[in-house]
This record gives sequence, C-alpha cells and structure tokens, in this order.
Amino acid sequence: MSLDISFIGILIGSIMASSVPLILAASGELITERSGVLNLGVEGMMIIGAISGFALMVITDNLFIAIVGSMLSGVIISIIFGFLTQSLLTNHVATGLALTIFGIGLSAMLGKNFVGIPGKEFPILFSSLRESIPFFGPILFGHSIVLYFAFALPFLTNYFLKKTKLGLVVRAVGDSPVSASNQGINVILVRYCCILYGGAMCGLAGAYLSLIYTPQWIENMTAGRGWIALALVVFATWSPIKVLIGALIFGGITILQLHMQAIGFRIPVQFLSALPYLMTIIVLVVISRDSRKIKLNTPTSLGRIFYKEK
Amino acid sequence: MATDLRISNISKIYPGCIANDNVSLQFKSGKIYALLGENGAGKSTLVKILSGVISPDNGEVFLNEKNLKLSSPLDAKKNKIGMVFQHFNLFETLSVFENLSIDATEDNKSLRVRINEILKKYNFSIDLDVPVLNLSAGQKQKVEIIRCLLRNPKVLIMDEPTSVLTEQETEELFISLKKFCDEGILIIYITHKLKEVLSLCDEVAVMRKGKVVSVSQTQNERVETLANKMVGQKLAKIKKKINISKNKDEIFKVKHLNFYSDDPFETNLVNLNFSVKKGECLGIAGISGNGQNELFQILSGEIITPDASIIFRNKEIAKLNPKQRREYLMAFSPEDRISQAAVPELKIYENVALNNFKSSNFFEKGLVNEKKIKEHSKKILSDFSVNTDNVELKSQFLSGGNLQKLILGRELITAPELLICYNPTWGLDVGAINYIHETLIKINDQEKSTILISTDTEELLKLSDRIAVIYKGKLSKIMPSEEVTPEKLGVLMGGGSID
Repeated sequence: MSLDISFIGILIGSIMASSVPLILAASGELITERSGVLNLGVEGMMIIGAISGFALMVITDNLFIAIVGSMLSGVIISIIFGFLTQSLLTNHVATGLALTIFGIGLSAMLGKNFVGIPGKEFPILFSSLRESIPFFGPILFGHSIVLYFAFALPFLTNYFLKKTKLGLVVRAVGDSPVSASNQGINVILVRYCCILYGGAMCGLAGAYLSLIYTPQWIENMTAGRGWIALALVVFATWSPIKVLIGALIFGGITILQLHMQAIGFRIPVQFLSALPYLMTIIVLVVISRDSRKIKLNTPTSLGRIFYKEK
Repeated sequence: MATDLRISNISKIYPGCIANDNVSLQFKSGKIYALLGENGAGKSTLVKILSGVISPDNGEVFLNEKNLKLSSPLDAKKNKIGMVFQHFNLFETLSVFENLSIDATEDNKSLRVRINEILKKYNFSIDLDVPVLNLSAGQKQKVEIIRCLLRNPKVLIMDEPTSVLTEQETEELFISLKKFCDEGILIIYITHKLKEVLSLCDEVAVMRKGKVVSVSQTQNERVETLANKMVGQKLAKIKKKINISKNKDEIFKVKHLNFYSDDPFETNLVNLNFSVKKGECLGIAGISGNGQNELFQILSGEIITPDASIIFRNKEIAKLNPKQRREYLMAFSPEDRISQAAVPELKIYENVALNNFKSSNFFEKGLVNEKKIKEHSKKILSDFSVNTDNVELKSQFLSGGNLQKLILGRELITAPELLICYNPTWGLDVGAINYIHETLIKINDQEKSTILISTDTEELLKLSDRIAVIYKGKLSKIMPSEEVTPEKLGVLMGGGSID
C-alpha cells in the first residue's frame, strides 16, 4: 500500500512538472491579452526561448545566463510583434501567426548544430526532503526553481491584476483604449510592456522544456504547447487561477493517458491522445459558465487595433 | 480666484474638411457658456483640442493669461481643465471606484473619503463597488463628473451631456452645474439643443462650418433666432395632425412578448402587449438601455421569440426571420446606421441591393444585375434628397443625415405597410431631422403605419399618435399623445408612475 501512495506522489510530481511550460506561457499571454492585445505567436516565442536557452547553455556553460537569455530572446522576438501591431497598426491575428511560423523556422535553423548535444543537469531544490518524506516529498520538493516560480505566478498575476494600480491600468487599457488614452494613460506603452512581458514568459516556458524538462534540443520540441496555452487563456476566461487549474488538468490527463496506454487499456490510442484536449476544454467551460463573470473578465478591446487621434 | 480662458485663432484642418477655422473665444468664471452648433460644426473638435486629445494646427489657448501647451489629456488635467465627453470615457467592466482611482495620486482610503464627500455634497447616490456597466446613463455621467471634481477643476467642459438623460436627470444635472458655477468653476456647455441653452446658459457662441458666427447674451436670444444662426437659413415648422383612427383595423399586434437573456448587457422584456392601427404612429419612449434594443431586434426578427404572438396583416409572423418579414411588407431602420443598417465599406448601390431580394429583379440566376440596382439607387438618392448622385460612393463617406435618408429610402421604396424605426434622427442635425420627420409623417398620411422607438421625447410627441414608455423591459399603458406631456413621459421614463 505504501508503495502505491509513494507512486501516486511521484505521479503528481511529474504532472506538475509537465504543466510548468503551459502555466508560464499562459500567464504571460494572459497579461498581454488583458491589455487588449491578441498575440498568437506564443508557440513561436516559446520555441525561440527553447533554442536560445539551450544554445547559451552549451556556449557559456552557465545555466543562469541560459535562463535569462531565453527570456531576453522571448522579449526580442515579441518586440517585432509589438512594433508591427502597436506602431505600424498591423492586424494582431495575422502578425501573431507570422510570428509563430517565423519562430519555428528560425529555431530550426539556429538549432541545426545543437541537435544531439546532451543537456546539463539542472539543479533541483530540497532533493534530500524529496526522498525522506513519503507521498508529499516528491510533490513538494526536488523541483527546479522555475517550477516553484511557475506555481506562484498565477497567484502573483491575480494579485497584480486585482490589487495593484498597474494591474488596474492594464485592465483599463484592455477594456477601452480610447477612454484610457483620454485619461492620459499611454496606451501604446502599456501594451508594449504587456507584450514584452508575455514574450519573456514564453521564452522562459521554452527554456524550461530544453533545459529542465527534457534537457536537449529537438526541432519543434514545443509540439503545440503554445497553442494549448493560448486556448487555456481563453477557456479560463482570462482568470489566472483557472489557467493554473486548466494547465494541471491538461498535464494530468496527458500523463495519466500515457500510463493507461502503457498498461494496455482497451481504448483506442487515438482517443486517449485526444483526451487531455477534450477534458481541459470541458472542465474549463463548465467552471467558467457564469456569463456575467465572463463579460467582466473579457478584455473588451481584445485584438482590436488602437490608434491615437492626432 | 477668477478664471479666464481664452482661445485664440485655433484652426484644425482634416483632409477634405476644415473642422475649426480661426476660432477665437473668451470665457470667464462665474458664468455658464454655451457652445451651440449642428453636427459637424466643429464643436467637438474644439473641445477635443481644449482637453488635449488632439492638437490644433494653429492657434493658442490661454488660461489666466498663461499660454497652455495641450499636447495630451494629461496636460489638460494638470491645468485643471475637466471634460465630460458625450461618449463616456469609462471602463465598463471595472467598478466605479476603480474607474475613479485609475488616475488618482492618493491612496485608496483617502480617495474613498473624498469621493463620499462629493457624493454627499451634491446629493449623488452611486454604489462605488458595482461595475460601471450596471449603471444607468445618468449615473455614468455622474461618475464622469465626479472624476473631474476630484481634481478641483477650474474649467469644466460638458459635451452634449443631456443626449442620454431623462427630463428629471437633466434637471438634476442643471442644478449641479449651477452649483459648480457658483463655486467658481467655469462651465462650457456644448449642445445642439436650443432650449437647454436658453434655460441654463448665460452666454452663447454659435458655430457653423468650423467658424464662430455669433457670440451673444442668451437673454437677448429666442429659440428661433438661435436656430436660424445655427442653420444659416430659416426652418419650416412641421406639425403633425393627429390621426383620428379609432375605427381603423389593427395591422400589427403583439401579445405576451417575453424575452429572457443571460447576457448582463441585455435587458429582459416582460409581457409586452401592444397593437398598431393602419396609418398610425405608435411611439415607444424610454431611456436607452431599457429594452429598446431587444424589442427592436424581436420586432425585426433578428431575435426569434417562438412563444410570443406577433400578428401582422392577419398572419402569425413570430417565427419568421427578417427577410421573410420584409416579404410581408415590413421595413426596418435600426439605431446603429453604420453597423446594423448599412455596411460602411460597401458602395451605395450595393447597400441598396442588400435587402431588396424578393420584390426586385436585382438578381438573375444568381448573378447581380448591376445596371438595375444602380438605376434604382439613383432614384432613391434623388427621391430622398441625399446629398450625392454618385452611387459608386462608399457608404462610409456619407454623413449621418445622408446615410439615414438613404436607409429610409431603401426601406420605403418597397412601399411597406409598417415601418419600425429606432432612433431615426439620433445624432443628426436640425436640417436632416426636419427632413426625416416630414418623411415619417408622410408615411402615416399615406395610410401606412409606423412604430417609432426613440429616446427623444420631443420627437415622439411631434410624430406619435399614441405613446407608451418602456422602463426596465416593461411597457407602460399606451396613451393618446394629446394627453401626454414631456413631464409625464419623464416620470414614466425614470420608473415613476402617473395618475
């Protein structure tokens, strides 16, 4: 019996680890979208973060530089998006899609020489506690610092949006950029900041994949996680806590269905593989049914181009 | 301390239009100033310049002889110029308090104290912790005013503030404005409503086509003199003769109309019953947001309510869509001309073709018969005196008045038995309003019926044979319009009861 319990602990720990990139990317995108900007380039920014993190680790042999560098690369690529949509007033959807395609292509090109190089072990915290406490040990301890950050992030995001002045400004800009501008808020600046922040979080999410989760570079290794993160934000109706729940459900069912496949359940594999997507959407739709809340949380100006009267 | 605001030689030119042409004006505190003009006269451009939203091509603004550089709304705020826009600058999904705290410099606690002081001082009652979208238009405006008052303004500019208010709310607003004025705030009141100028303001500047054409004391003016200055020509007075139609057939009848919506932005309708006789105009009054939108959409078939009974010319039409209803000779003119009635990116003739499917031969074997449509459109343009004869023009380049004439023309050319219109003259200038009112009266004279849903009391009293008021989705009893006064309507529109 005790073996079962410790197995479940390890299982939960691995579910948490697998949901980290989703939480990071979705939390970043959530802030971007709350300011009224729809950036569909999440997948592209993540993959750029993944390759630049891994490449920097190989070149400098310093994990700290690799992590910071991956965030910076996310920022740099999101500047392109920001410049196009905010300064040149291009369409958000088209620009975001282009960013994803660009990111995937660029990462494949940059990553050519890094295929097959083994990664470096990422330091984990409290590894002794992990072994000594049954069940809770593998859940609470023995993770990388990025995981702890990721699990704190939705709560920090929630606090930021609901309690701080800056959060209020972001929500106001997302609600009505024209009103915000007439109140003297620099809408373009706020939106730039939110875009860059979203880029940084997506870069970090990518680096988590290539440095910590599966420490190596594989072409196209984000494998659609950016799109899942985008969907999470929408189905969680722009609530950071629901994003966390959604990411855990997605990560959980992904891992569970793998185990089910391994055990040999008599369910078509295709159905099992589709299960995480289905369940996440169903659960999030059910917990976000309140149409009043949806209306209050939805950034009214999402995806709309704002230009200042002169 | 006295405030003195001076505008000197302000010009603002947009491509193809001179919005402000060398405008110079002077204002002093202790008085309420009116800035009067038709739509497109340049009033809004001028106040946008004063509030720093746009910057002028030429000219200067002086406050107490200090030259102001107003390059952003922040500059206006810093210089204590407060502004209440016609279209509210509020964040609908944020709470009232969040809306007010967004540009405050103090902490939330002392801000709340100050807001409560203002609420008490001016007798405003607003719950600070509900989202703005739950407020009535009058309350929203108060939030805007409080936002200005929090900054101890020297100048308060009100842009068409009464367009969304009831009579009572308007009176309350006027009392507050007079109070502000006594406290030394300089008030500039922008409007195109002549009566308001006469009852509220001390001095009036009239603008026409970007220029100031007259500045005078209001005590020396009358409605007619101001109207003539504003329009630049004499206006014919129109008066409807009441239709005595007691014995006529009911052409349109609605029974047990209920509508329930989950959407917090929509209003539920509760058991509406009414009928329209041949040649009659039924007016439905109310402050916007009390269910008019939903009612219009149900009557036009955009929303289908299968449980209700809607009888038109002895047929049950409740389950028919807008196109089918049109085939039974109903016609519709929605409130939102640009997005509901017409497609702004399409050319005039394309817009004309949009709803005349069955009754015309615009389409043959699935192909568009452009020549026919264009001939037909030309006829509408000339019959309804739209200010262009170019059917290739994109509809977005028509002014509001011309677009409304085009829409009415398109609807009426099929000779409908019933026209349902919602705020047909909203935001139009006096000339266009006059034309549209004449057209609507003509329809009734030809024994066709109209339902006029409007937020403009004056218009309703002028055009309707019978009037009902919609409030929070419920309809008052239907009254013959000769028994109705603006005061009665105001009470009903505000949720009160008469008799």
